[in-house]
Amino acid sequence: MNYFDLFALPHSFVIDLSQLSNAFQALQKTVHPDKFAHASSQEQLLAVQKSATINDAYQTLKKPLKRAEYMLIQRGTDMPSEQASFQDNFFLMHQMELHEMLEELSSADDIDSAVNQAHETLDTEYQALFCQLEQLLQTDCRETDLSACEVIRKLKFYQKLQLELERIEEQLFDDEC
Amino acid sequence: MALLQIAEPGQSTVPHEHRLAAGIDLGTTNSLIASVKSGLAETLVDDNNRDILPSVVSYQTDTVLVGNEAQAYSVNDAENTIVSAKRLIGRSLNDIEQKYPNLPYQFVGNENHPDIQTRQGAINPVQVSSEILKNLTKRAEHALGGELTGVVITVPAYFDDAQRQSTKNAAKLAGVDVLRLLNEPTAAAVAYGLDNIDRGRNEGVIAVYDLGGGTFDISILRLNKGVFEVLATGGDSALGGDDFDLLVVDHLVKSLGEQAGLTRPLSASLERQLLQQACFAKEQLTRQDSVEVKLSLPSNNSFTTTITKEHFDILIKPLVSKTLRACRRALKDAQINTSEIIEVVMVGGSTRVPLVRSEVESYFKRKLLTSIDPEKVVAIGAAIQADILAGNKPDSDILLLDVIPLSLGIETMGGLVEKIIPRNTTIPVAKAQEFTTFKDGQTAMAIQVLQGERELVDDCRSLARFELRGIPPMTAGAAHIRVTFKVDADGLLEVTAMEKSSKVAAHIEVKPAFGLEESQITQMLTDSMSNAEQDMEARMLKEQQVEAKRVLESVQAALAADGHLLTEQIRNDIGNALINLVAIAQNSNDSSTGVKDIETAIEQVDKLTAYFAELRMDSSIRQALAGHNVDDI
Repeated sequence: MNYFDLFALPHSFVIDLSQLSNAFQALQKTVHPDKFAHASSQEQLLAVQKSATINDAYQTLKKPLKRAEYMLIQRGTDMPSEQASFQDNFFLMHQMELHEMLEELSSADDIDSAVNQAHETLDTEYQALFCQLEQLLQTDCRETDLSACEVIRKLKFYQKLQLELERIEEQLFDDEC
Repeated sequence: MALLQIAEPGQSTVPHEHRLAAGIDLGTTNSLIASVKSGLAETLVDDNNRDILPSVVSYQTDTVLVGNEAQAYSVNDAENTIVSAKRLIGRSLNDIEQKYPNLPYQFVGNENHPDIQTRQGAINPVQVSSEILKNLTKRAEHALGGELTGVVITVPAYFDDAQRQSTKNAAKLAGVDVLRLLNEPTAAAVAYGLDNIDRGRNEGVIAVYDLGGGTFDISILRLNKGVFEVLATGGDSALGGDDFDLLVVDHLVKSLGEQAGLTRPLSASLERQLLQQACFAKEQLTRQDSVEVKLSLPSNNSFTTTITKEHFDILIKPLVSKTLRACRRALKDAQINTSEIIEVVMVGGSTRVPLVRSEVESYFKRKLLTSIDPEKVVAIGAAIQADILAGNKPDSDILLLDVIPLSLGIETMGGLVEKIIPRNTTIPVAKAQEFTTFKDGQTAMAIQVLQGERELVDDCRSLARFELRGIPPMTAGAAHIRVTFKVDADGLLEVTAMEKSSKVAAHIEVKPAFGLEESQITQMLTDSMSNAEQDMEARMLKEQQVEAKRVLESVQAALAADGHLLTEQIRNDIGNALINLVAIAQNSNDSSTGVKDIETAIEQVDKLTAYFAELRMDSSIRQALAGHNVDDI
């Protein structure tokens, strides 16, 4: 069953997250294994399967990039593998610059403001790409779908940078807890 | 067994029968059992009116003592008196020796299945826990006046798969049916019933800080109309009040060392005595600013020293800070700020320590919730959940959505870990990932299952290792091996692997690496029975009869509710299969053939109802959202 249908949501990238979460909880209230703890083994097994599917569906739709990937797969788009070579040289160059920016944080004169600046840069650029993705996913055609795949890959680069920034931040401010 | 009843087709099911159930807090230092009686969850007491059972088991020459009786031997017979077995359960010997170098026990057995040598022979920590469970369930059956349908046993949220599996095995050894393993912080949240508080538009996010005798958990939960959704959990399964005691012991040995001639290694009983004094000092220091500690040495000398609260605080501060670091990580995983937390629930005896309270309060900048006795709150929550799971509250709105505390993955080339299920994933969960061969013509593959957060295999906990053989020879990278991880609602893992083109399958339930193996448990069960073989068979027969009853009730309830979805032919077939099942279940007194006969009869019913069960589950899924649909349109 299509995940959007499962939660009675329209097939759209922009979804109402509180509606998703309410639907998720309503479904778990009917199929969660706890509701079958005194039932037969057959029903218990079925409950675990259904409940696991609903959990997976919820996680997929809750996280925007996973939701986008799911939509693209449903539309029959082949997602390029993570190792596939990347065509956009300009983007790669820029990624290297951003990496350097993160590496230089620890030697900044004012570490606090440098970290804040880095956060802002990453957030702004992520947001811009994310808006593109929203636009692209509105139309269901092969060309825009392929572009959407590219944008998702780029967004994942930014997610990695954000994780890296958090790690650096933790190291820099680890003295207090 | 009592006669099974069959209702008229289409009519309502079995009349409501109250099933006895209980919640057990199987703690490191203390254990409790609680049950819901006339709508109220309360702890159950023993003959001496005590509800707390010290988690101590003493192996005497011809008897096994549990609780207070065992505690009396803990100093003078330390080698045979096991305290805090929960710290040892599901752990390797190396792990134990590294964490607790001064234990008075003599370990035997192999690295992954360490036993303790007692005068009653080698005893596994799982067996120790099962003695405590037996004692508590007996107490409950006495207090409630009947056999328990099942129990909910609480475990630290941060327990890994081996520790959970070992706890479940302890229950199996004790002969109690486990309805669910429930995470301690989640149980505490249920006890407080915080989901019912009306907060207007606020979605309630709470933190549960649970510092017990041997374990620390922090859970961040979102509460919404009966649903307790755990967003993240963190902790340390080897950090608790016992560690405060150990620091005090080290301090005593250091400060009294020269004066009293205390140099390690000390005798087992002296270590125990020091530990008891340290624990006493810790408790006194929750109320007063200094405490006098007295030691009597074998040489009949006695020594006295004073410990101040300031000094105690300095000793334990690093451990308290460690718990706060875990809190910070859990909040980050949950993507929640401290300012969004509306309540901080304090659980576990060690939260009585003033420094713990003040540090947690200043970290969360919020007044702490301590109105329910922190030592009883977990058992009470477990009792409430046990009552629901046993089926006594069909209209209950409560739903607990818990997570796995540690990531699960498998080893790939170069000693790296590929995570398959990340930590804090809501359970139950099933995830699959495909891997391929490394060499041309490779026909076998070793799969190592790991749990932990680090990227290198050596830094993670190895849960199990198994081999997939018989892969047809192909060029490197051509085979597609699909590894599926399933974690059930108890947080227990099952792994299967399959080569897709040839359908060669390997299946394991992750058990073997630590703790006890299935065969050992069966052996222990058999050993514990006077008339081993017959008793074992009788027990299996009874289990099958219970399952037969469950099947009967389930199917009858299903037919009464949705029988109209089936053709008359199928309804009749199912009806006949049920009559057959009842006849076999009731007439099989011969346990050697009975078990198999009932199994076959259940299988018949299962086969006939498989489609029906799926149909009903799917239709309930659709119905659950039917209301929402109308609103949207």
